[in-house]
Amino acid sequence: MAIKDKLKTDLFPTIWCPGCGIGLIMQQLASVMDEVGLDKDNTVLVTGIGCTGRMGAYMNFESVYTLHGRTLPVAEAIKTVRPELNVIVVSGDGDMASIGGNHLIHSIRRNPNITVLCNNNEIYGLTGGQTGPTTPQGTTTLSSPAGAAYSPINLQGLVNTNPNAFYAKTTVYHQGPMRKAIKEAIEWPGFSFIDIASQCIENNGRRIGFASAYEMLEHYKTEYKPGPRDATHLEPHQLGIVKGEPVTVAAAAPSGKGQGE
Amino acid sequence: MTKRLVQGNEAVLLGAVHAGATYFCGYPISPSSEILAQASHYAAAHPEFRFLQAEDEIASANAIMGASLAGAKSFTATSGPGFSLMQEAIGYGHKIGIPAVIINVMRVGPGTGMPTMPGQGDLNQTRYGSTGDYTSLVFYPSTVAECYEYSIQAFNAAEESRTPVILLSDAFLGHLNEVADLDAVKVKVVPRTMEPLASGGTRLFSGVATYADGEPATADADEYIRQYEEAKKHRLEVAERYAFYEYGWNKESETLVIAFGITRRIAQPLAAHFALFRPIRIWPALDKELVEVAGRYKKIVVIEGSDGQYANVVERMLLRRVERVPLLGGRMSLEAIREGLDRLGLLPSEPSKAGAESPAQADAKASAVG
Repeated sequence: MAIKDKLKTDLFPTIWCPGCGIGLIMQQLASVMDEVGLDKDNTVLVTGIGCTGRMGAYMNFESVYTLHGRTLPVAEAIKTVRPELNVIVVSGDGDMASIGGNHLIHSIRRNPNITVLCNNNEIYGLTGGQTGPTTPQGTTTLSSPAGAAYSPINLQGLVNTNPNAFYAKTTVYHQGPMRKAIKEAIEWPGFSFIDIASQCIENNGRRIGFASAYEMLEHYKTEYKPGPRDATHLEPHQLGIVKGEPVTVAAAAPSGKGQGE
Repeated sequence: MTKRLVQGNEAVLLGAVHAGATYFCGYPISPSSEILAQASHYAAAHPEFRFLQAEDEIASANAIMGASLAGAKSFTATSGPGFSLMQEAIGYGHKIGIPAVIINVMRVGPGTGMPTMPGQGDLNQTRYGSTGDYTSLVFYPSTVAECYEYSIQAFNAAEESRTPVILLSDAFLGHLNEVADLDAVKVKVVPRTMEPLASGGTRLFSGVATYADGEPATADADEYIRQYEEAKKHRLEVAERYAFYEYGWNKESETLVIAFGITRRIAQPLAAHFALFRPIRIWPALDKELVEVAGRYKKIVVIEGSDGQYANVVERMLLRRVERVPLLGGRMSLEAIREGLDRLGLLPSEPSKAGAESPAQADAKASAVG
């Protein structure tokens, strides 16, 4: 019921292609917000470049639409200046793991109390479908006619270099696990990262043999299985949450709104 | 406070603190690193002042944009190659309208160049470094006391213009220790007026061209021009209130020397022989002021630590030829200036030591080298 309060529905339809997975993430994020007490007075969205970055424009929150790859420095600074705010980062895999990769490894190290929702469609969608850092090796893309040359980046391994961090893997098909992951990530006291497999039918799926977004969702349904409870590591195509040892982030006193004399 | 020895880099930091800055993010790079180090010490003693040594200058410049949107007056400090990495965030700040201050303590480039040697080769980068058209506000002090004063002014101009303002310095000035009474500097601080994030609204701060409601305006030239002209007009109006310059020395001379930053200090012993115009606001260029002054002189010579970056600007403004004394490779010395003037036939026949200023200022070069 309260989902609509969280969305700027007057701007719908969105610019996302029919069948895009991003809307499924936005819907679940919007629907979980009331449950975890997020509203426009205590929450800021920070989004990256690419299709995913548009999400901030469609939600009823103050939103910072950053440059390519720069969500994390911006989000961390906001959290530092205003520790009382919930800072939610929504970003694609290319933005997060390639052009923003240096920021990612250092944000993981610093363990700020922010939450990252990574729309992982294994492709650069908005620019037309070039190989990304998460594209499976061998995948034919606009920029890899003979198949992607390298193995994809290990996001789980990166996040878990910090023993206090939170990593979750889900897909847009698995709405229940995604909801659980978003909720727990927001409540996690430190850096939390949700790696969400999500379909890009127009600029990836069709090129690799899927006839429709529905087929891609069916693929997630059959390929992904729940991982073990209290997993310390997820195998490829396992759903679940890997939690480190939570540290209580020492909350600095708010510096207050508005500085200067 | 009484007079004491203050370093240029320290004065910049103290000015920022006085201006109400509460967030610093930076990355070590010579010759600006003292600002980072002293900011960290200041933060340790003042928890309301937030400090981060980031992974690189890209993060630093983007972080200060986020911090400013969150409500903090924010700043960073860097030099040549680091300043290059900050250009995207500077453009982002101009697009959205984010107040922030970026201090660039110039060394000799391009590339890694000569990290500890003074240069003035980043003038064009402060104006044109990021993609697209935008209106830069840039200041460049000449003394340690001015480092403090124009640090405050840079924050004020940032708040008023809602742009990232650049404060230039150089390896000489940043490392120059001179006696200064910073309390004697009286500049009123402009308070933050921009509503911080999460003030009850649903604003979108977008680097992408958008309409007021957040919808993309990425193919609408009329909307682009409307927003661009509005921002430009406002920023130029603000710049008018910060039209700082110095006009002095021997105004009866036939030759006008244009020099700024540390170069003006180095040229001080020539004061009896030349008139001086020193722009403190580097950008927007002081066209009105300079045109008026330059009209009184037969010859104009620009002495600067680059191969004519400002001389080109002056030629364009005045539509007349100007002479050039480029001080390159860190050779920013009175001898190099004399050699340059000699080549142009402008070297005065009798050397004069009639610097009208204090010994501390006249000895600027010696102190900086020491």
